[in-house]
Amino acid sequence: MSAPIISVRNLTKRFGDFTAVDQLAIDVVPSSIFAFLGANGSGKSTTIRMLIGLLRPTEGSIEVDGIDVIRHPRRVRDHIGYMGQKVSLYQGLSLRENVEFYAGLHGLAGRELEARWGALRERFRLSDAEAERPENLPAGIRQRAGLALATLHRPRVLFLDEPTAGVDVHSRSLFWELIREEADAGRTVFVTTHFLEEVDYCDWASFIDEGKLIANAAPEDLRRRYSEGYRVHIDGEPAQELTTPALDDAFFADELDPLLALRPGARVQIDTPSMTDVFRRVIAESAGTRHAQP
Amino acid sequence: MNLRRLWTLLVREARATWRNAFTMTILVAVPLAALMVFGFVLSTEVKKLRLGVHDASGTASSRRLVAELAAKGTFVPRSFATPGSLDHALMEGEISAAIVIPPDFDRRLREAAAGGAPAELQVLYDGGETVLAGNSEAFLRTLALSTVAELSTGARAQTMGGPAAPLRVSPPAAAPPVSGGVSVVSRALFNPKLDGSRFMVSGTFGFVLSFLTALITAVSIVSERLSGTFEQLQVTPATSLEILLGKILPLGAVFAVDVVLMVLAAGFLLGVWPEGSIVFFVIVSSFYVLTSLSLGLLISATSATAAEAVQKTVLFSIPLVQLSGFAFPIRNMPTPVRWLAEIFPATHYIRVSRAIYLRGEGPLSLLPELALLTFFTLVLVAVALRSIEGRA
Repeated sequence: MSAPIISVRNLTKRFGDFTAVDQLAIDVVPSSIFAFLGANGSGKSTTIRMLIGLLRPTEGSIEVDGIDVIRHPRRVRDHIGYMGQKVSLYQGLSLRENVEFYAGLHGLAGRELEARWGALRERFRLSDAEAERPENLPAGIRQRAGLALATLHRPRVLFLDEPTAGVDVHSRSLFWELIREEADAGRTVFVTTHFLEEVDYCDWASFIDEGKLIANAAPEDLRRRYSEGYRVHIDGEPAQELTTPALDDAFFADELDPLLALRPGARVQIDTPSMTDVFRRVIAESAGTRHAQP
Repeated sequence: MNLRRLWTLLVREARATWRNAFTMTILVAVPLAALMVFGFVLSTEVKKLRLGVHDASGTASSRRLVAELAAKGTFVPRSFATPGSLDHALMEGEISAAIVIPPDFDRRLREAAAGGAPAELQVLYDGGETVLAGNSEAFLRTLALSTVAELSTGARAQTMGGPAAPLRVSPPAAAPPVSGGVSVVSRALFNPKLDGSRFMVSGTFGFVLSFLTALITAVSIVSERLSGTFEQLQVTPATSLEILLGKILPLGAVFAVDVVLMVLAAGFLLGVWPEGSIVFFVIVSSFYVLTSLSLGLLISATSATAAEAVQKTVLFSIPLVQLSGFAFPIRNMPTPVRWLAEIFPATHYIRVSRAIYLRGEGPLSLLPELALLTFFTLVLVAVALRSIEGRA
């Protein structure tokens, strides 16, 4: 396993008596999509603001792409792209002018800018929006434009804070395709989201509650641990129902395939445990653990 | 009207207002503070003014005159050995007015009592402080004349053994009478016509450049924070200094153009041109704009909404009007308030503005004020930079 590109240890942030983030420890593998989940006020945004150097932690360490973010908060900014909850496009400037502005801050201009932006414009389907002002664009296009701007300088790590909030289902789906393409191209994506089902687009998921990390695993592992498992319904007389913690090779080879061999052409329906249920169970178990502590 | 519904609305409004500390401060503290400041601190009344005295006569009569001026509580005399040092102190603002008693004062007083030429007193004041100058000059003239009238009565009694002759009083800021016990010659160091518009125009630059610049910057940056673009800027490679300059230099350039337009408008429409260099005035004003813009940035750093930024800027403008010397003479304020006024950059800018407009002063004589303005600017820029970093 390659060394983590984001490594956080003992990360704590207190505001007076209130502890927003408490002893957080996470590792993010390069070129992966890392989902950071939690309810409102759980500490997600505080964590992301510390990771990008906007907020100084009370204690702990943060390393992003080999840079100590606490000691060198400015140095990390050449390595990261960031898209906040509000897509940060300047109103009154056209999308093209916004592109030139942010490109200028990263030292991009001329042919290099044209080449990079030309490719992004096509891939993110922004050609028709280029001359428009952000205030005149639909939310979905603004989100795509925000993501395009965050990747324009080819950062090694992308931080996305609730990137799909307020966007319709179709646009969200397209947006996640683009995020997947970024990860496949070698970029690491650290993303927070309210939409728990979006975890399935991700390689890894961490749940945070009241500032504490309460679950940290691949989505499949979370389902295995925090749900009743997949329910597999096989039509026929009589209908049959199986439950499995994971849709792995062993399940297909040992259980499902032998049954289907006996019922050729039978319709199979698989109910995937919802990530919302997983999250509820994670929260409930975490609360139980906390209450059990003296 | 449903009284129950009205009561519900009243209770909510009262609760919301009571729990908003900032609004409560504005509602309660500001009127009280304004009342106190207007009542006790701001005054055009001539009281305990620092009066420079050059007594070249050094006689019993001249000493009595000075003692009488001090006894009324209107003036606090301070002796100066030479007329030059008196002028200098007046220019530096160490004293508010001055009186020069000639070497032959005592002799002329006696001669006047015998029907000769009157003794001549010279009153000097800084015409730059129009209201104060007018009031203090009139007070000084009246007090001096009444005191000298008493002295001259004594002199006449000594000389003729009869009643005192009527005393001639010269009109304010005009040629002295040529007979009688004493004549008072007034001389304004600057702005001899006590032209109020000149005084107000030069002060208005300070008010406009302080209030408007801070307001525009504060609202603009709060809006950027709310829209998320400011946070986005902070995660680009742009340094805090670059962000600060990128914000204040374009605004500064606009306000610099504003300064030029105001100078031209004041000149052509009001007939008020600077006595000193216009170029120097525009340069100093443009520099001061940077100070105010940094202040606006600080206001934005502590404001959650644009409305809050506007409220804070308005709140800040109250002491700006009252204590910076824009409308009320600082020289007349109690000492602790005078010290307080000194921590407002606007106080120093208005002083410089008036020095250029009324007295035609240049960079050399204004060096201490310019140094202070530079100091304030550096401090404000440093704190503004820290607020941009925003790393709690």
